This record gives sequence, structure tokens and C-alpha cells, in this order.
Amino acid sequence: MEPLSTVAIWGETFARFVPVWIGMAVVFAISIYFKRRLSLYGRLFDSPVGMFGFGIILFWILTAILASRIAPYSAVDQVLSMKNALPGKIESEFGISYIFGGDNLGRDVFSRMVWGSQTVLAIAPFATLFAYMVGVTLGLPAGYFGGWFDTLLSFLANLVLAFPVILLFFLLVTPEIARETNVPTTLAAILFAFPLVFFTIVVYSKYHTQPDKVWLILGTGLAFGLWAYSGLAFNRDPLGVFGMDPNRLNIFVSVVFVNSPTVFRIVRGMTLDIKTRDYVAAAQTRGEGPWYVMLWEVLPNARGPLIVDFCLRVGYTTILLGTLGFFGLGVSPESADWGFTINDGRRLLLVTVYPAMAPALALMSLVLGLNLLADGLREQSMRD
Amino acid sequence: MAKWDYDGPILEIENLSISFFTRAGEIPAVMDFSCTVQPGEAMGLVGESGCGKSTVALGVMQDMGKNGRIVGGSIKFKGRDLCKMSQEELRQLRGSEIAMIYQEPMASLNPAMRIGAQLMEVPMIHAGATSESARKLALEVVTAVRLPDAERILRSYPHQLSGGQQQRIVIAMALMSKPSLLILDEPTTALDVTVEAGIVDLVKDLGRTYGTSLLFISHNLGLIRETCDRICVMYSGEAVETGSISDVFNKMRHPYTQGLFRSIPLPGADKNSRPLIAIPGNFPLPHERPNGCNFGPRCSYFVAGRCDAAEIHMATVDGNDRHSSRCLRFGEIDWKAVPERKAATEATIAGKVVLKVDALSKYYNVAASALFGGAGGRTVKANEGVSLEAHEAETLAIVGESGCGKSTLAKVLLGLETASEGLVMLGNNSIGNTQIENRSTRTVADIQMVFQNPFDTLNPSHSIGAQIIRVLEIFKVGKNNAERQARMLELLDLVKLPRAFATRKPRQLSGGQKQRIGIARAFAGAPKVVVADEPVSALDVSVQAAVTDLLMEIQRKHRTTMLFISHDLSLVRYIADRVMVMYLGHVVEIGTADQVFSPPYHPYTEALLSAVPIADTSVTKKHVVLEGDIPSAMNPPSGCPFQTRCQYKKQVPGNLCETELPAMRVMAAGHQIKCHLSQAVFDSMEPVIKMVSAE
Repeated sequence: MEPLSTVAIWGETFARFVPVWIGMAVVFAISIYFKRRLSLYGRLFDSPVGMFGFGIILFWILTAILASRIAPYSAVDQVLSMKNALPGKIESEFGISYIFGGDNLGRDVFSRMVWGSQTVLAIAPFATLFAYMVGVTLGLPAGYFGGWFDTLLSFLANLVLAFPVILLFFLLVTPEIARETNVPTTLAAILFAFPLVFFTIVVYSKYHTQPDKVWLILGTGLAFGLWAYSGLAFNRDPLGVFGMDPNRLNIFVSVVFVNSPTVFRIVRGMTLDIKTRDYVAAAQTRGEGPWYVMLWEVLPNARGPLIVDFCLRVGYTTILLGTLGFFGLGVSPESADWGFTINDGRRLLLVTVYPAMAPALALMSLVLGLNLLADGLREQSMRD
Repeated sequence: MAKWDYDGPILEIENLSISFFTRAGEIPAVMDFSCTVQPGEAMGLVGESGCGKSTVALGVMQDMGKNGRIVGGSIKFKGRDLCKMSQEELRQLRGSEIAMIYQEPMASLNPAMRIGAQLMEVPMIHAGATSESARKLALEVVTAVRLPDAERILRSYPHQLSGGQQQRIVIAMALMSKPSLLILDEPTTALDVTVEAGIVDLVKDLGRTYGTSLLFISHNLGLIRETCDRICVMYSGEAVETGSISDVFNKMRHPYTQGLFRSIPLPGADKNSRPLIAIPGNFPLPHERPNGCNFGPRCSYFVAGRCDAAEIHMATVDGNDRHSSRCLRFGEIDWKAVPERKAATEATIAGKVVLKVDALSKYYNVAASALFGGAGGRTVKANEGVSLEAHEAETLAIVGESGCGKSTLAKVLLGLETASEGLVMLGNNSIGNTQIENRSTRTVADIQMVFQNPFDTLNPSHSIGAQIIRVLEIFKVGKNNAERQARMLELLDLVKLPRAFATRKPRQLSGGQKQRIGIARAFAGAPKVVVADEPVSALDVSVQAAVTDLLMEIQRKHRTTMLFISHDLSLVRYIADRVMVMYLGHVVEIGTADQVFSPPYHPYTEALLSAVPIADTSVTKKHVVLEGDIPSAMNPPSGCPFQTRCQYKKQVPGNLCETELPAMRVMAAGHQIKCHLSQAVFDSMEPVIKMVSAE
């Protein structure tokens, strides 16, 4: 059979994403219809830039969710005859075309790109979220109390930031270190404990005036949290629901580790500013504890810049994951990670650009979307 | 473009309208505004925040940002229309013919340039002067604004000067080019009263010597009265009344002007027998302006069908000098009628002592370096031997300028700081050394605070109701959520706000409404003592009266002791039963309001009283202007803290003032003064404020 022409390739690409297009149309229609009632998220739809950014991100989120409907193959399906296939070549058995070509193992590049979105979206936002928990939990008291605690933590944060990131990753992600030593597990044990600590203080500081309520919330929350903790940090979930592949855990922990000092510094700076406000003094003069003041008086008012930074930071993390994948760090050989796929496609660059360009464009568009979303949020949150 | 001569008025503004164009559409900021400033005349522009007075000034400078545009009328400067000038011509004009002075002096000076270089720039750019002649002129002008040691000042950077000195430099800079028109936009709002008095004195003098016309923008009627010849009152984007000071102050012909004067505490107002009358309602937002008269909805002379029928124009008041009013009915209203006042209330009788402070001192150690500590640390004495007693249901005012230690005192009382020495007793409990974390819930609820800045006092992230309920939870008021919810709604009733506000966020409230919530929060736990730290100083005049009134009413009902911290002596005279004057951490005078406001005075009290501008033409004041600035608390003067600025120092024999801290002297029952002056000098003191019968 004749391979597809360039126009047909793009036509086919558009057609394969039809479920995503429908999903986007539905989300946009609902959001714009209710935008007056949706506070900051709703106001995003007043900003063309923010809307465009959100659109790109939504595209990839829906792609990740609907991957099995969009990708004709799984990430690891190999078809011998399609080794290094040119873009548009049609597989003879089922008559499905490899629209972006095949790699040297005969896997469909398009399918791998689609599945790759799952890898990225499963790690980048959550790793950033964890980094935020760590940064917030440490940055608030550092800014609020100051003194030696602040001096010590700021010094440590600078230390981590001053260390070359790639080198740090090489160390943390190198299979020997991961397997022989328990550095990653220890790090995970420490870093994953922060959300639990964070949750406990948030709830206790707010509800300690209502004893029956506080134990109920804390009890249920912590039971669930510890369950997840046992699975994620030690891979010893008794029920086997939570768990993370050791490679992925390495990546996850490393990303959290290098991101949290920056978050720490932002939170610390904002706390220094906000703690001078009268409403903080008002809380102090009614005898609120320091953690209540930090988490319920200071933190909510730092949310604007933090949300914007969160979007940007997910973008950086996406790039970081791509870079690591490109070097083959922390990914299993079957992984559909975009960086890994780009590296595979690189070998065919002289023949055709599609196998390298497709995942590269995917990565670029996702980061671009996140940056535009951050711009839009910043613009909208300044208006009032 | 050289300066040109012109015989007519310096500034003629005719039917000026300025709008800002935003995404929400056109927002008219100034509408149909006219005024004329003659050579050598000082014009005062007065109004509440948001009334468009600063926009007029920006319009004159032709600097309204990219959103603002003049949509009608003309601004003529010395006969030439500013709106028709090119950018180049305007640039020549600004800073040379028209100069402007802003509120924040630090923001008007370049922090990276020496004062001398900044001043010299003006004639060098505008008149092409050589640097020698520019420097000579700079020296002259710095001396003219009464700064000591002009050479040293020229060599210093802005941050090395105090706020008052910086503002003098800004004025000097404006004078460098001998402008024909000087626009002052709230030039003293950021300064202390005694410093303000010096600046006002200077501005008046300079206007006279240089023959400069002034456009003086302020929200303070007293200040306008002291500096200006004519006044223009603005309300919601329009001029509502304009005329000479004596006409507008004594024979006002617009209900808003009348309302303003009735809501400010003038000498003679009394919280029990002659309470203030607040203007009801709120200032309309630009897009909510009513038909016809903008003031209509808040006006007691409002007649439906007439006042809201059509746009109202300025009309001349016959018989007066260029006096006009934007009121249809000014001919019909009986302006002499005595306003209907709320029934006079009984003066509350003070009860037993609730709060007792004895020889309280608070020192801060400022180490040379926080990290390496060691020697070289200094001590800041924020409070030094402060003693006071406050009785139940009494209002004790604490008066003083920034840095006098009044906020530190409040912090110690509230337990945010602990005393270095001395005793604080709340009832029978000693609380001076107990941090707030270690106080019992009852003690914490017993002493609460109302904060100064309405925009900062509420957390913008939580709803009004949630913030009040949180206070109730902490103070263990109510058994369950339903009870607390009900109590919260009662508190909203107490501060006269609609119950629907419970679900609102602070940004949906006006400044006055936020301050009411702050009051509700302070009174939520039924406190014995409320410390009110300048609770109304950031509010507009017409709102101040209402909030002050509310505060007193709640206090009276609950028989709460109130410590009212303020620098506004007019307000203090009105609200306080007893007054305590502080200077550099010391109490220099304490007594009943009558005792403190009439002789004998502490020299500092006398200067403070003289410095406060009073918006009443029937009052004459003794003129006392203090030299210099408040010394730093890091390096206080020896002996009496006030000796560096005291005008009576010569009358004390020897160098007693410089060597020895005077003891508290009892002048009369309950009246104490910390001063070395002899009884004879005290006896010869005259009242600072004298009422002269109005014409």
C-alpha cells in the first residue's frame, strides 16, 4: 500500500484526536457559560492568553485520559515489519498507518507520543505539589519566626540550589545508587512525610477549638495518608493500591528535592511581607497559635503568586523530565517518556524528522501552555 | 520656550471633564469643573478620597496616564490652553512654570542621587544655567526652606534626611525654577503634626515672598483654612461650592459643605451635649452616581422630582466675592437653623480602676549585627517609666507623634511584647510579663484592639462572618456553631451593618464598613479594655464621625474602658475623658481633657495644640512652631527628652533641662506635668486656642 501523503498524515492526526476535540469543546462551553461563578478559574476565560494556555494543557490532559482511544497501539507493541518505518507507512496486517513513523524496534511513534503524556502528567504536577508541601511547611515558619531556624534553612536551601542539578540527578538516579544504597527510599520517607505533617497542622490549628470535629477529620485523614505513605514511600501497601515503580519513585523524589528550596524561598519571602499586616496582629492579639496565623492568615494571601509559580514550576519540571529521559536517566527501556522518545528519534533525524519532532513538539507545547496559563492567571489575579 | 508675561489669571479651568477609559467602559472622574487662580492667590481643593481632586491636578499637569483623557472643557495657564500644547511645549512648562509636590516625599526624590545634584538639575535643564550658578541657587533655596547647614544637606542622599526634611527638599526643588503655579497634593499627610505645622508655615511664607500661586489639595479643612485664600469643595467628581475661605466656612451654601463642617470635631463640640452629626450613607462610586444632584441621596434637604430631575449647574451666590454653589435650593434653605441634634446623652460616670500601669519600661536591644552579636549593641528605650490608671467606662486618650512609644505601650498591654520593668495590672492580674500565649482566654478576651488601617485589618481571604465566628470560637463564646452564628449576626447589628455582610469578602466593603467589622471583632469577647489605635485616622471626614460615634455608643453600653491612641487633638478633645501626652517614650503630661487642653501646659502639649489645624474661622491660635525633628529613640537627648526642641528652655536656670530628667509634678488633682519650669511660668501661660466671637 502507498504510504500517506503529508496532508493525509495531518488529516489523520486531527481525526485521531477527535475525542479530545469533543472533550475540549464541552469543557470550554461549560466553563464559559458559568464563568461568572467560578472566581479565578472563570476569570481566566476573560484573558485570551490564559484561555489559549489552558486550552493546550486541557488538550494534553484529555489526551492522557483518553490515550487508549487515541493511540492505535500500546507504547510497547512492536511490529517487526515497521522497524524504522517512514511517516505514513501503513501496517499491512491491520491496515493502520504509523503516521509519525516507527522506531528502531518497530513501535509506533504516534502512539508513544500519546502514551508519553501520561508519564509526564503523572509525575510533573504531583512532584511539584509535593515540592510545594515541603517548601510551604518549611518556608512559613522560617519567614514567620526568623532567627537561627531561618538562617539554617536558608543556608541549606542555598546549598541545594548551588549544586549542579544534572549532576545531582545523575547521582540520585544512577541505577547503582538507587539499588545499592537506600538514599532514594530515605529521601522519599522524609519528603513524603511533609504532606502528612502539613495536613495535620492545617487541620489542628483551625479546629482545635472543636475537639470532637478535630479528631474525626484528623483520624480519617491520617489513616488514609499513612496508608498512601506506606505504599508510595516504602512500597509496602498492605492492600496494594498505592505503589510506585522504583524508577519512577527515584525521578519523583529527585524532582521534589530540587524544586522545594525554590518554593521555600518564595514562601519565606511572602511570609516576611504578609506577617506585618494588621490582620496578622489581630490574630495574634486574640491569642491564635503561630501555626494558625501562618496557615490560615498568611498562606491564603500568598496564594496568587504561588498559583502562578506553580504553573511555571510544572513547566520546568516537564522540561527536567524530558532532559532526564533524553539521557535515559530514571526511565525503564519500555517507558514512553517524551525525552526518551526524542532520543530514539534522534538516530533517524537524517532520514525523517517526525520521530524526534513529534515528542519534542508535544513537550514544547505543554510547557508553552503552562507558561501562558501562568501569564493569564497573573494578569487576571492582579485585576479586581 | 521662554516664560511669558500675562496679566490675567494664572490658571483658568473651564467646564473641565476628565474620564478614565477602562474595560468596564468610560468612568468620569471629573465633570464640569471650573476654577480660576489669580496671581499670588492660594486655592484650596478639598474633598474626600475619590472625589477627583487629584485628577484635577493631574489634568493641569497633562499627565493622566494612558487611560485618562480630557473629554471636555479647557485648562488655560497664563492665557494659553494646555490641552492644545505639544508634548515638547508641555515638557518645557512642567517643573519650570508649573511645579507639583506629592504626598510621599521619598517617592519624589531619586534615592541614588545626592540632593545637590537633584536640585541643580532643575535650572540646568530648564534655563541652561551653569553648574556654579545652579549650585548657588540651590544653596539659596535650601536656606529659604529653612533647613540648617545647607552645604551638608546638598551633599547628602535622600535617605539620610527625615520625612520633614525630605518634603522641604521637594518644595525647594519646586522653587528652583521660580514657578508661577505650585500644585501641592496632600503635601503633609504623611508627616507628623508638629512637622506639618512647620511645612505649612513655610508654604504660606514662600507663597508670599515669591508671589507664587498655589493649588493646595487636601482632605483637611483646617489645613486649607490656614494656607489658602479661596476654597473649592469637591464631591463625587464635581465642584459643589467655591468661594473665599470666610464665605465658605461661615456662610456655606451647599448641604455637603455644611455636612462636612458638622461632622468634624471643632472646638466646642462635646460627645455628650453636642455630638457630631455624620453625613448618612456612602460616597457613590463613579458608575453609581444618581441623576441630578450627586449628593441628593445623602442630603437632608433633598426634594424628589427637583433635585434628581436634571443636571445641576453652579450658580452664583449674590453679595459674596465669587461665591457659587451647585445646589438648586440654596436660596430656600435656612442656613442659620440649628441642626436637629440627637438627644444629648448623660455623661458616663467612670467606675473603679480597671487597668493600672506602674513605671512601665520597655527596652529593645538592637545588636550591631544579628548574626555575630557581640558588643556594640544599643538599647532603644521605647517606653520609660510610663504610669497610668484607666477606669471603667472611661476613655483615656494617648497622644503623641510617631516614635513616641504609644504603639509599644499597646503591644505590651496586649501581650505581644513583655515589659522590661514595671507592672501592668488588669483588674487583679499582673499581665505585664505574660506573653499572649500564656494568658488565659478570659484575659485575652478582656483586652482587645481596634487597628488603624481599614485595608489591612481584615484578612482579604476569609468572609466577614467567618472572621467574626473565629473570634467567638477562640474566646469560647457560644456552645455550638449555631449559637456562634447567631451571636455573629447580633454583632453585625451592633455595628449597624446589614446581616447580609456575613457572607461578603472584605474587598466588597468600604473603608468605614471594614473599620466597623474591626470594632465588632474587638467587642466580640465582651472586653474590659479596648485599645483603639488611630481607628478613624485613615477614614474620610464624613465617615470618621459615624465610626467614632459607633465606637462611643458601644463603649457606653458595655461600660468598656477605651485607650484611644491618636495624633488628632481635635478628635481627642471631642472623645476623651482624660488625656495622656507622650514624647519619646515618656509621659510628659496627663490629666482630664479640660486640664490638658487649657493652661498650664507642658511645652510639648502647647506646641502640639498649636500645630493642629482647626477648620473654624472664629478661632485664633497662639503660634508655636517647633524647630527640628523628633530625636531618634536610639540616641535620646540627655535630661528632659523634649529639651532639644523646647522653646521654654531659656526660662529654666542653669542647664537643668540638659542634665536632669524632670519629675512628674502634680499641678491639680489628677493633672501631672513632667517639666522643670517654675510655677510662675506655668501660671503665666495663655490658652493656645481662643474663641473669637464670629462676625
